[in-house]
Amino acid sequence: MNRGSIGITPRPTRLADESYLEFITSFRRLAIQEMFPKVAEHGEAALAQAIEAGEVEPPAEGKSLDLAQIQRVFARNPVTPTFQRFVRTQQEMMWRRTRESFFQDADGLMAAMAHAEEQHPERIHIDPDFVEPEYTRCEIHCQPGGYTDDPIGGIVYHYGTKVFYEGFNDQDELHIELAQKATKPADRQIERVLDIGCSVGQATTVLKDLYPQAEVWGLDVGKPMVRYAHARAVDLGKEVHFKQALAEDTGYPDANFDMVLSYILFHEVPVAKMKDIIAETYRVLRPGGVFSIYEFPSNDKGQVSASNQFLIDYDSRNNCEPYSPAFVAADFRGIIEQAGFIVEDGPLLTNPFLQSIIARKPQ
Amino acid sequence: MDSKAPGEVPADIGEEIGGPGRAYFDDVVIDNILDALLELSAAVWTYHDRVNVLESVLAQQGIEVSDAIEAHLPDEAEIARRAQERSALVDRVFGSFLRRPTPRMNLAGQTNANGDEA
Repeated sequence: MNRGSIGITPRPTRLADESYLEFITSFRRLAIQEMFPKVAEHGEAALAQAIEAGEVEPPAEGKSLDLAQIQRVFARNPVTPTFQRFVRTQQEMMWRRTRESFFQDADGLMAAMAHAEEQHPERIHIDPDFVEPEYTRCEIHCQPGGYTDDPIGGIVYHYGTKVFYEGFNDQDELHIELAQKATKPADRQIERVLDIGCSVGQATTVLKDLYPQAEVWGLDVGKPMVRYAHARAVDLGKEVHFKQALAEDTGYPDANFDMVLSYILFHEVPVAKMKDIIAETYRVLRPGGVFSIYEFPSNDKGQVSASNQFLIDYDSRNNCEPYSPAFVAADFRGIIEQAGFIVEDGPLLTNPFLQSIIARKPQ
Repeated sequence: MDSKAPGEVPADIGEEIGGPGRAYFDDVVIDNILDALLELSAAVWTYHDRVNVLESVLAQQGIEVSDAIEAHLPDEAEIARRAQERSALVDRVFGSFLRRPTPRMNLAGQTNANGDEA
């Protein structure tokens, strides 16, 4: 049964699913916003004591504390495994019930996406011969089927991330901030805009609102994401193009775009692919074009706190984020500069965990 | 992941959230109890929320049901149906004890919070 939407967010197909998932949202807020800070505070204090007692080696200048030492000290607090248990379980409960709920309307969802494609075939670009590389087929964040293998994965992702954002992004508030803070080229000439790793196109449609005269594209490796993004955009009355392709092999001409945006894309790919994506973005941006990047912290030289290192490592192992630790350790800024970009700090975001980078292609 | 035919929507999907799952305590019973606690809490809220909605819908129609609920006596069919639903609730709440029934040292391939083989 289709029970409509909550503003622009789909509503679960049964009241019982919605109540259950709203409980998960409230519980997640408690675990992440209230429980983790206490785990972090206790762990940081215990680490400081262990260093003072000579039990743990202090980090060398410009280096991070050894992760194994952080884990060992944090694990002494019995609340730490409780937090880990709760976060993993709520994530499993969330995906299981979200998927189960929307599966009830699988035929209707598939028909809606097909109908949107009949209405506007010129705005969806899927190569039937495209094969997703194995590295893209992880069940990122534990989502069943990941971004690539569940035909109704788009709507499952959309509602799942509503829970992830604890209800703070129901009307795309976060994506509005990202798009509004995306940096424009100095000459203000904006004819084509690209959102790489666009998932269900939430920032993409906002970019179209901001630049109505521009041709706006969203690109993602996941066909279920692209199909749902297209259907959602058609439903919202937004003239946006969506394409299934690899971010490292987009198929666009050289110098095609004036602005490119990416949001938490790079920590979801291996470092070698990250380099290829940056090189590809450089290629498709025109001279003077700007790449706005919102991402996990990187270039860790000791500035990432022990508790955030602990959290990122936990997330990597328990929330199917296989590539994020290597990303955090990588010289992300250096790699962007090596590709030819001029790198600056970007505008601060409401979420202080994320870094914001502006990469300009020289004239 | 297995390949799926184009357009096919599988009923069951998801390797990450399947199987025996993760354990974070040396005593797996603690993991199971905490899982049960979460499912139980979610169930309590879900049922409470449904009663909220039910009472609102009835009130909108001018129907006062509180006294009638207290006086209601079920027939055999209703008793059987409610027993079936109650069993389903028990299965859901205590399913973690079936999912991880033994200490993890006896579970091949089980990993702990650090991702190490137990």
